[in-house]
Amino acid sequence: MKHIDWRSELAREGHRVILSGLPIAMHCHHYNINLHKMVEDTLGEEGIHLLVEAAEMVSYYGFQSLLKQYKQIKTIKSKLELAGTIYQNCGLGILLFKKVGPTGGRIMSLSSHHVTGWLSKHGRRETPGCHFSRGWIAGVMGVIYNHPPGSYTVEEKECKMMRRDECIFLVKER
Amino acid sequence: MTIDGSKIIHAVMEGSRIRDAKGIIPLFGVYLSLFFVQYYNKLSFEFEKKMGKTREKEAEKLLIEAAQECGYATFQGIRNSREWEELVVPMIGNREDQIFSFAAVAVAFGWGDLEVKELIPRENLTIRVSDSYEATGYLELHGHSDSGKCYMLRGVTGAFMDLLYGEDYPDGCFNFMAEEPFCRAKGDLYCEFIARRSSDQRIP
Repeated sequence: MKHIDWRSELAREGHRVILSGLPIAMHCHHYNINLHKMVEDTLGEEGIHLLVEAAEMVSYYGFQSLLKQYKQIKTIKSKLELAGTIYQNCGLGILLFKKVGPTGGRIMSLSSHHVTGWLSKHGRRETPGCHFSRGWIAGVMGVIYNHPPGSYTVEEKECKMMRRDECIFLVKER
Repeated sequence: MTIDGSKIIHAVMEGSRIRDAKGIIPLFGVYLSLFFVQYYNKLSFEFEKKMGKTREKEAEKLLIEAAQECGYATFQGIRNSREWEELVVPMIGNREDQIFSFAAVAVAFGWGDLEVKELIPRENLTIRVSDSYEATGYLELHGHSDSGKCYMLRGVTGAFMDLLYGEDYPDGCFNFMAEEPFCRAKGDLYCEFIARRSSDQRIP
């Protein structure tokens, strides 16, 4: 993605770290996975929903804010490419948007922060666990196809936390 | 020697721009991610809300514990990293300088403008933060609170003391516990965290 100047996108304003005009925090896998596991263990399905929804809302508004600054990025293809680049630049992993359209699609991940973190702290899971990524994908899909938050459901069909070869996300329009 | 926080900030900003072929940022011995603070605020405060009034204390305890365990493991990784050895160790004159270095790393990570106000070795640590993203987020999402809301910073303050004066790693987590007597979310001018040795190993 040649259009993005990451050095200026990720900047400091005093003690704050700013990405695309919005404050960010750097957190490591210990905190992200601790929060994930604690919320899931405590609230069950409701906790999973919360993890997905929080990631979706925030990735929606964050990606929208970024796109406003790059008006030259107009095509769906380049927006999807930008989404993958941002995910990678934020240290979240690799997302490959395959066969994606306005009604949904299939997205593959070969590696991710949350998978690496989960496996190093807790080992193999018995159920798919990339709730953050599900929400993140739903958020950016909403922005790319000009739908409000909550327009897409993202199901994880295969998960590397279960020691599968890749994570496979199936996106559907609600 | 005084800890030069600007050197640590520079190293973190440069290091956070380097990710490996898998899109992972390995820095200071941990895997870093960069994400909007609203995510952490929404997750923490919605979790607390879903737990309800009857489980309010339990929610607070869980959020602090998640952060303290994280801080304990994270800063243990950080102080054993190559980056720490090369950059921070030359600035460290005594054991207590580690706390000032930990605080500088936290500032570099965008957690707030942490300032060590008092450190009495083996007894207590006071950290003041005038711009905690948790307090800001709580005020934006829910308005004023009647209790402190900076659970992450509260846990991390305890972890700093655990690492210096607790039992040897990995047995010292929760040897210290922090309180937040002042918090902007409840109308104070700043947030303040005081860690003291805990009588129990866990939050009562």
